[in-house]
Amino acid sequence: MTERARVVLWRVAILVVLLAAWEWLTGIKAGSRTPGLYWIDPFFISRPSAIARRFVYLAFGDVRLSLWQMALSTVQSTLWGFVVGVSTGFVAGLLLGRHDRLARVLEPYIIAFNSLPRIALVPLVTMIFGFGLLAKVVLAWTIVFFIVFFNTFQGARAVDPDLVHAARFLGGGEREIMRTVIVPSALAWTFAALTPSISFALIGVVVGELLGGESGGGLGYLITQSLGTLNAADMMVALVALGAIGIVMALGIKQVERRLLRWRPEYRTERA
Amino acid sequence: MDRVSFDVSDGEFVAVVGPSGCGKSTVLNMIGGLVRPSAGAVLIDDALVGDAAPKQVGYVFQKDTVFPWRTVARNIALGLEYRGVTAPARARRVREAIALAGLEGFEDAFPATLSGGMRQRVALMRTLVVDPEIVLMDEPFGALDTHTKLTLHAELLRLWEARRQTVVFVTHDLSEAITLADRVVVMTRRPGRIKLVHEVKLARPRDVIALRESDEYAREYGRLWHVLGEELA
Repeated sequence: MTERARVVLWRVAILVVLLAAWEWLTGIKAGSRTPGLYWIDPFFISRPSAIARRFVYLAFGDVRLSLWQMALSTVQSTLWGFVVGVSTGFVAGLLLGRHDRLARVLEPYIIAFNSLPRIALVPLVTMIFGFGLLAKVVLAWTIVFFIVFFNTFQGARAVDPDLVHAARFLGGGEREIMRTVIVPSALAWTFAALTPSISFALIGVVVGELLGGESGGGLGYLITQSLGTLNAADMMVALVALGAIGIVMALGIKQVERRLLRWRPEYRTERA
Repeated sequence: MDRVSFDVSDGEFVAVVGPSGCGKSTVLNMIGGLVRPSAGAVLIDDALVGDAAPKQVGYVFQKDTVFPWRTVARNIALGLEYRGVTAPARARRVREAIALAGLEGFEDAFPATLSGGMRQRVALMRTLVVDPEIVLMDEPFGALDTHTKLTLHAELLRLWEARRQTVVFVTHDLSEAITLADRVVVMTRRPGRIKLVHEVKLARPRDVIALRESDEYAREYGRLWHVLGEELA
């Protein structure tokens, strides 16, 4: 058996054991005279079989807002927040990374804003942008922007001055050096921020959805709704869906990163 | 540094040797416009070298300055890109340069996959492909093993014989200086001054391997080693 197959096998085994234990343990009745008591109460954590049933119902059943629509809403806001956050963070990081005085002037503001717990911004963002897509994108942006900004900022400062000299001797002007030396060099740092960025974009969006009500749609709404109806199974469906979305998006970013950073030794797959 | 003054004529290969810290790299950086002399001036064709890199000067650094995110071919093409050479002409000149440097088959390789010797070859071709009149080299082969170094010496001489750029080559390796240069400038230890400007009387074209076994080479080496030795003592 190859090492990879072995790893996959173990992963599957862990999943099966966990699900089986969950299903089994939440099915044991407590030895009490009061009927309907469980050792581990499925009321709070539900059961895999119940979750699967709700999953099918929410996805394919006759519901007002299907699981797909909610997932789509969440994914859409997350990707928007990600794209807007990454692009603005990158430009700002590059700008401040190459302009020392500007960076020094703005430093306290950046640190102050970045120290704000983002969740504290939710009511304000809601007041300004309402409950829809825009509010969720803005929340994701406030987190992603800074992650990308700080990385790009460091990257733009860490550009090897000898590479800049070398480019200058090859006849490069300031703009060309920016394009051919500083941007590619900083990008390596920016990419390191992308995987956490997509996760944080998702966090920002779900936080917005938790407080955003139905018009915000999304899986966060399913969670608050389930809390309202004390429905642990639906909550679990939302959590599983969020986990799946998180994994798929992180893997997607990894692929992009691998492609764009193929010049780095750690991504080397081409000829040695 | 103190009163360092020497002339380099067109098409001449001059090596600068001296103990470490004597300022030989600084001399090079002044010629290249990277460092401004606190007193005195650097003139190229009677024009004062200012803060910017002079147009006709190419520079090969001691450190590996190949752009890691560009393939071999695109590294070599960069200077041509900056100069606005059209894509077809660029491709042709890059192909020639790659053939000259014996890098065929590695056009699309990224530098991380190359050995130090090959990377320095890319750096060299990247500088030479834009046809600079003057080439400054700061211990370009300093980090390479002896064998690779000799191979690159032979290649550098071959390329130089064909184009005859003016070269200023900084090194602390005396045999390298004698093998390559027409004249060797020996600097003293700090504060760096010029101790001696020595003409290397070895016929060209030179064979880097055979040269080392010749009596003339031994004589040149012995004489310069004696002079440099006083500075190292």
